[in-house]
Amino acid sequence: MTAKRLRVFALLAISMIFLLAWAFPILWSVLNSLKTDSDVLAYPPKLVFAPTWEAYRDVLFGSGSILPNLLSSVIISVGTTIVTMLMAVPAAYALARLRFRGKKFAGFYVLATQMLPPVGIIIPYFLVLRNIGWIDTYQGIILIYLSFSLPFAIWLLVSYFEDIPFEMEEAAYLDGASRLKTLWRIIIPQVRGGIAVTVVFVFLNAWNEFLFAVVLSGNTVRPVTVAMFNFVSVEQTLWAKLAAVSVLAMLPVVVLGVVAQKHIVKGLTVGAVKGGGRR
Amino acid sequence: MSGQGQVSFRNIVKLHGQFAALKNVNFDIKPGEFFALLGPSGSGKSTTLRILAGLDAPTTGRVMIDDKDVTSTDARDRDIAMVFQSYALYPHMTVAENIAFPLEMAKLPKSEIAPAVKDAARKVKIDHLLDRKPGQLSGGQQQRCALARAIVRKARLFLLDEPLSNLDAKLRLETRAELKKLQRSLGVTAVYVTHDQEEAMTLADRMAVFMSGEIQQVGTPAEVFARPNSIDIAGFIGNPPMNLVPARYVDGDVIIAGHRLKTTATTAVERDVVVGLRPGALRMTEGGLGARVDLIEDLGDTAVLDLDCAGTMIRMRVADGNIPGEGDTISITARPQDIHLFDPATRMRL
Repeated sequence: MTAKRLRVFALLAISMIFLLAWAFPILWSVLNSLKTDSDVLAYPPKLVFAPTWEAYRDVLFGSGSILPNLLSSVIISVGTTIVTMLMAVPAAYALARLRFRGKKFAGFYVLATQMLPPVGIIIPYFLVLRNIGWIDTYQGIILIYLSFSLPFAIWLLVSYFEDIPFEMEEAAYLDGASRLKTLWRIIIPQVRGGIAVTVVFVFLNAWNEFLFAVVLSGNTVRPVTVAMFNFVSVEQTLWAKLAAVSVLAMLPVVVLGVVAQKHIVKGLTVGAVKGGGRR
Repeated sequence: MSGQGQVSFRNIVKLHGQFAALKNVNFDIKPGEFFALLGPSGSGKSTTLRILAGLDAPTTGRVMIDDKDVTSTDARDRDIAMVFQSYALYPHMTVAENIAFPLEMAKLPKSEIAPAVKDAARKVKIDHLLDRKPGQLSGGQQQRCALARAIVRKARLFLLDEPLSNLDAKLRLETRAELKKLQRSLGVTAVYVTHDQEEAMTLADRMAVFMSGEIQQVGTPAEVFARPNSIDIAGFIGNPPMNLVPARYVDGDVIIAGHRLKTTATTAVERDVVVGLRPGALRMTEGGLGARVDLIEDLGDTAVLDLDCAGTMIRMRVADGNIPGEGDTISITARPQDIHLFDPATRMRL
């Protein structure tokens, strides 16, 4: 075996180990979700078993159906994503392009909010929401999610906007376009990769969020991340059902990941080669 | 055409903090003229163009287009088309969409846009590339696409910011000639920024020469070439540029390296001057200024000689077939009217 082949082989082996470590919990959840509760607890663990859809049937259509929770998650995530993008795109453009007093501070503030430990502000947020009567409401949770997703989205988008040469915009002005029209027709089509990446990240963050959801939600609005814990109690854990809900909760994430994969990879490498990510 | 395309700059000053990018710039451009803004980088020519386009605002002063003060008019309302040095094509649109963009912004009906786009593309010979994206075009084709986008709208002013600088040498010469023909056929006023004096000389009807934020001379290329206003312009225009030699003016003569040359230029008193001599205005003669040939650059039909005149370097252009050998000593002179005098202190023409 030549040195080169040996190196390729070593790299492959290392990659496989990483992949396995990453994929194991997911595979394990999928397997468990197809087992009966007794099969889940069997020791040694059964790799060969009679698969059943029972757990899925129960969590979807049984007494403690998680369908309303999935719907809650969808409303919260989609709502957060839409509001975030509507505000983040113009804000990021302004930060990237306009010269105004306090721009540096605004840029730092946006980043600083990302550095706060979330646990530290749960209680203030809870108190604020309770005082305005927004605990256990969609608008309440979306508002709180915005406080994280908006700075993150702005910060992510600014670099995409900064990548677009100024002359392109000036050319559009001279061609008779207004600032808004330039943004819409010239700039945004060129940052759509960045927008796709941002949408995915914002959606995923909202979809996967647990800490704030568990404190600020209630019986009316309860996203699936919180609802999952219905299957964990002091006496027992319903592993098969928990696994089934996990898999169901993962599905939109996986679908989004596959659909947006091209954009994400492009988005992550943008700026690596000058102008490489855009065309 | 919506206007004549007459331009006036009145006392334009542009400050960047303490730094004066433009110090009181004044000039007029006549309708239909091909006007070049020439100068080394950092001299203020691009700033001037940007102020004319409305992309930058002057600190003080007025910009007039067709006798209307447009100093505070938005770029998009000035009816000006521009070709950028980087071309600034919209990468997500096809060539046809790029060219159509200014017409769409002007809210022209679709039925008029399509033929106008075709026509503009045909004028710059890219009508076979209309469905391509800019990324699929060569540099020269991108440049033509930018040109087409600028001419499609029939704006009253046509601004070009070093449009040829990203092309290779051969293509640059071809495009230069085409550009001139295009401007003539359209009859539009063109303002052309360049640092290449040869480009300005060949293209422009008139030009303004910028030096460190000021216009030092406005005139036809021939005028500027024949009578440069300052040492800086003299040293910038011409290839190779004018020889600038320290000398002494005495009573209708200049004394260079101990040799007297008659000049028609005059100055009041006996004084130190800088003498300007075009390399092509020097001739070999008997009993002239003695010089040793240091180096010969043979350009084919002519040659440029680097001469050592008692320690002063002078360059001289000679016709083929008349070339001395390296190391030879020759004797040179110039006609009195070809001797330019400059003040070494103010650097201006005497």
